[in-house]
Amino acid sequence: MTMPAVTSLNGLPVAAMPTDVDVANAALVGEQLAGAVTHDAPCLVLDLTGTRYLDSAGIDMLLKLAERLRNRRQTLLLVVAEGSPLRRLLTVMGVDASLPVHASVAEAAESGGGGPGTLSPR
Amino acid sequence: MTDYELRELDEHGATEALAEITDSALAYLSLEDLLVELLERIRTAIHADTAAILLVDRERGVLLARAARGIEEEVRQGVQIPLGHGFAGRVAAEARPVAIEDVDDAEIHNPILRQKGIRSLLGVPLMVGERVIGVLHVGTLHQRSWGESDERLLQAAADRAALAIDDAQISEQRAMTEVLQHYLLPGSLPVIPGLAISAKYLPAPGAGVGGDWYDVFSLPDGRVALVIGDIAGRGIGAAAVMAEARTALRAYALERHSLEDVLSLLNALIVGAGRRRSVSVAMFALDLETDALDVVSAGHPPALIVRPDGSRELIAPASGPPLGTKISSGYSAESVAFPLGSALVLYTDGLIERRGETLDDGFARLLRASLVPEANLSLADRAYRDLAAIDAAVEDDVAILAVESYALGDTLHLTTDADPTHLAALRRIVARWLTQFGVDDAQRFDITLACSEAAANAIEHAYGPRDATFELDGHMSAETVEVVVSDRGRWRRERKSDRGRGLQLMNALMDEVIVERGDQGTSVTLRARRK
Repeated sequence: MTMPAVTSLNGLPVAAMPTDVDVANAALVGEQLAGAVTHDAPCLVLDLTGTRYLDSAGIDMLLKLAERLRNRRQTLLLVVAEGSPLRRLLTVMGVDASLPVHASVAEAAESGGGGPGTLSPR
Repeated sequence: MTDYELRELDEHGATEALAEITDSALAYLSLEDLLVELLERIRTAIHADTAAILLVDRERGVLLARAARGIEEEVRQGVQIPLGHGFAGRVAAEARPVAIEDVDDAEIHNPILRQKGIRSLLGVPLMVGERVIGVLHVGTLHQRSWGESDERLLQAAADRAALAIDDAQISEQRAMTEVLQHYLLPGSLPVIPGLAISAKYLPAPGAGVGGDWYDVFSLPDGRVALVIGDIAGRGIGAAAVMAEARTALRAYALERHSLEDVLSLLNALIVGAGRRRSVSVAMFALDLETDALDVVSAGHPPALIVRPDGSRELIAPASGPPLGTKISSGYSAESVAFPLGSALVLYTDGLIERRGETLDDGFARLLRASLVPEANLSLADRAYRDLAAIDAAVEDDVAILAVESYALGDTLHLTTDADPTHLAALRRIVARWLTQFGVDDAQRFDITLACSEAAANAIEHAYGPRDATFELDGHMSAETVEVVVSDRGRWRRERKSDRGRGLQLMNALMDEVIVERGDQGTSVTLRARRK
């Protein structure tokens, strides 16, 4: 299975997420993402702008990945276009209450460059 | 006895022996049994200790030991003699008998002959017309001086045997290739609401089956993959390469590689395997939610697209050479629109190529083919009807894969394998249905995702081979959208918290969610008031 492509922006890892994250691939994608983040990175930016559907297994994966990174003093930053259905989903499911959601990769990178812990969720 | 009388006896004996060697009973044996039986009879008739038949494998430029008596190891060890080398190789290359009185004085390629202590050898070519199809040789453990009558008898036996072998080989190869083709072409085409998919495969009249293939399957990202390909050459070799190419293409595609990468990887595989056959292939991926059709082609003729207004165009020109010829610099995909009401015809060159015509003549005929609907004829049937059916000049195999998109009705029915990898495809179909009835983007997302959650539930319930499918039934009205997802699995207690999250998600996105658990299975009814 091909990995989500991980690139670097201002030294921060940015992962482009697939069009669909669901029970079929969520666990594998989560594993690959956790493995793709080096220990010296302050955060991982997940670019969900190309993602059409994210199901409950995908949401579960995001929350678990965030927790895993948190234990390594790293932050998970989500990028979801404003006004998109996915944004609304993250709100109704309460995900945006525990994970920072940004409108663009640039915005996420700017906020995430300050080092670990600067965006620690409540 | 006088010389004359001796010759008479010889001639008489030889004729009788010959008749015994190739009596009509042999016609009913399989190739393997036929060869063994022939050798036994020849060995007896000519008073030899060993007899062997090697058949030419043109692909590899060698003689392959196919049957032997007295030197059975030759077959078991799969002896291969390069054409032109050694004793048998010389017989085949020179297409004439070769007699060796003492093997110590000759170049012998096959070590088994020496190991068995064979002293003298006599070999003759197996000829069909001008074509050498193999070699028949006999050997003796004692030194023997081969006479002209030995040579005549062996050649006469070989000539009769050659015809029987050729017949058996052709029908065996044809049967094997047909089985392979039958096995490899999709037994049934996938049922995808909103798409009428049809296919046709016709082997060229009289010739062995070729390496044409088509394939239809769902990609992990929910798109529908359509593939058409053609292996150069025909017969069992072409069919075997087709089997490799078809399987490898599917494997790469299911690993989520891009269309370009699928072809590049496949090319590297075929070149690396040293198959020495060129493979033209075109791959298409249709997104039912966005109507985008991505296309990529390696040396394959362009496909015909018929737009909803009836206009036609050839799409997917080759972006690189056929696969298998060299390591290519890569292939590039492009995207075209495939709106509701469009049709696509994929084909192999046998459909349009005619002797004495240019390729452009063929394309022109394709662009003006009527394709007019006729009762019980699919689009693939109609393409064949208009372009090849009445044309005596069709000399190649023809494979056609056609797809027509049509409007969905206000009820939607899907039967899906209880396999999570099908969820993405299910979402595309549900989203397409909602779009066709004017449901807006936001509500389409909500209903589609809720259906997907219900389907994921059904997949979790389904276990055991008997319950390996579930049903989705949608009903559209002016006011509401209702979707029922039902499985026949027995209800099991929720094992994990994330399924609880699934129920939470459905409740958050739909106006009403009803879960009914019974002995016959579980059904989830989802309702949304249309906005």
